[in-house]
Amino acid sequence: MLLAVAMATAVDPSHDLASERSSIESTYELTKYLEYQLKEIKDVYLTYLGPPFNEKDFSPPRPNSTALTLPSAATRLELWHGLENQARLAQNQKAYSVLLAAVRELASSTLCPSLKTSLLHFCTGLDGLLGSISALMTTLGYTLPPQSANMRTNAGELKVEGFWILRELQSWLWRSAKDFNRLKRRLRG
Amino acid sequence: MANLVTSLCCVVLAAVVVAYAQRRSQLVARNQYERMGSDVTMQCGSLDNNTSVSWKVNGTDVKAQHRLEGPRLILTQVDLGHNGLYSCFQNPHGERRDTILLHIGIPPREPTVTCRSNTYPKGFYCSWHQLHPTYIPTTFEVDVQHNQRLLDVQKDAVHKNRCHVRFPEVFSSFPYKVNVTAVNSLGKAFTTISFEESSIVKPDPPERVTATPIRFNPRRLEVSWHSPATWPDIDNFPLKYFLRYRPLIREQWQHVELSDSTSHTITDAYAGKEYIIQVAAKDTEIGTWSDWSVAVHATPWIEDPLPITSTTEVDVSTEAKTSPLPSSNAPQKAEAPVGRAARVLTFCSPLLLGMLLLFM
Repeated sequence: MLLAVAMATAVDPSHDLASERSSIESTYELTKYLEYQLKEIKDVYLTYLGPPFNEKDFSPPRPNSTALTLPSAATRLELWHGLENQARLAQNQKAYSVLLAAVRELASSTLCPSLKTSLLHFCTGLDGLLGSISALMTTLGYTLPPQSANMRTNAGELKVEGFWILRELQSWLWRSAKDFNRLKRRLRG
Repeated sequence: MANLVTSLCCVVLAAVVVAYAQRRSQLVARNQYERMGSDVTMQCGSLDNNTSVSWKVNGTDVKAQHRLEGPRLILTQVDLGHNGLYSCFQNPHGERRDTILLHIGIPPREPTVTCRSNTYPKGFYCSWHQLHPTYIPTTFEVDVQHNQRLLDVQKDAVHKNRCHVRFPEVFSSFPYKVNVTAVNSLGKAFTTISFEESSIVKPDPPERVTATPIRFNPRRLEVSWHSPATWPDIDNFPLKYFLRYRPLIREQWQHVELSDSTSHTITDAYAGKEYIIQVAAKDTEIGTWSDWSVAVHATPWIEDPLPITSTTEVDVSTEAKTSPLPSSNAPQKAEAPVGRAARVLTFCSPLLLGMLLLFM
């Protein structure tokens, strides 16, 4: 019976792809929503950090410490084009699992209570995105990359790291929208 | 004897060459750039301090306020009127000793710089201009930094004040820093701007916008367009569009936002009215809206008026393109569909009334 069902789903790929495309579409919408939410939180967070972080066009150098291994959304255009579906999803999945842990730590070290609440609320959204990506990978038959441990940072660089975590998260949400759009087109055939 | 003649010839030749060279150097003017409003000193060649010279500008006497100090001409508080070709002649024989082309100008001020990407994700271009003229030749040096690296900058083949840069990567978290330095003989000034990849993306307007009426639909117009040719990768970096339309007789626009579609049917057009339609484009994720496209005019389909023999064919062929001519026919044309409906109603209503009375 189970075999018949499995065979039926295997024989009817168009049906599966339709549900996958729908899943990609809702994940895409989620990234847009989170991007919008992040913009608001980022402004509040930069004000909380105070000068010079809240100044226009301010960009501190990115911390080089090995403890903070933030996945970079930036990539060469040809490489981005050439990514296979699995690799594309895996990169997203890995990025958000690291960033989620980083934002959680950021929230716990935030002293302002309302900002802490906002950040934690944002984390639930981010967790939802991560779950959505993982589910999509499983449905498409891709194995999930293993979880990597995230070491903590020294307090001296906390502000700069906080800045970069949110900055990189912003780039990733923007990139993910493009990634899911590409996936949607590739699955359309 | 032969040797003597040869050496004599060489000496004469040498003298001729030197004299010619000297004369040439006097004839070739050298440029001198000076600041507006300042006092200018022009030196006549390399003559001694007690040499007496006379000066001419563009072949005539120097009329502007000036004073002479040996081989030097001093002009006070110069302005653009002092520009010219100055020649000095040694007294008392009047041999020309020097020629100076004087240019009055001002040092450059900070240029205004803007950057934009209409070919995302391939690259971007930066343009700059000076708010105030310098009156003398000014060049611009551009350098672009990203993530502590200098990027390769290409000058534009056509536009003097524009340069092009390829994006080294996409989805970058590092800002780009563009520095433009204006340089001329009197000084230099620079401007630095900083921006993120996503903020400068602005496509060119959509192209080949067409609006056509739909037969038998007096309130519809079919609008279609193409993505701008300069946008390199419409599949992976799709655009969304914004359509605006209004009848010529009204000021207020109606707007429609569309994703992933290059056509739209307007269904609420006023019958018989000429419309003006424009479209704008934007990357679905980042950047700003393009400028509006070229405006397109169209009038919804109108039912043919009652045939007026010879003019019928003309009406049929032009009704799609031109608005109704302001003639006695026009009101009839516009009212025809409405009039017809009204006529039907007036015919039916007594009938309906009759039927109602019958059933009471």
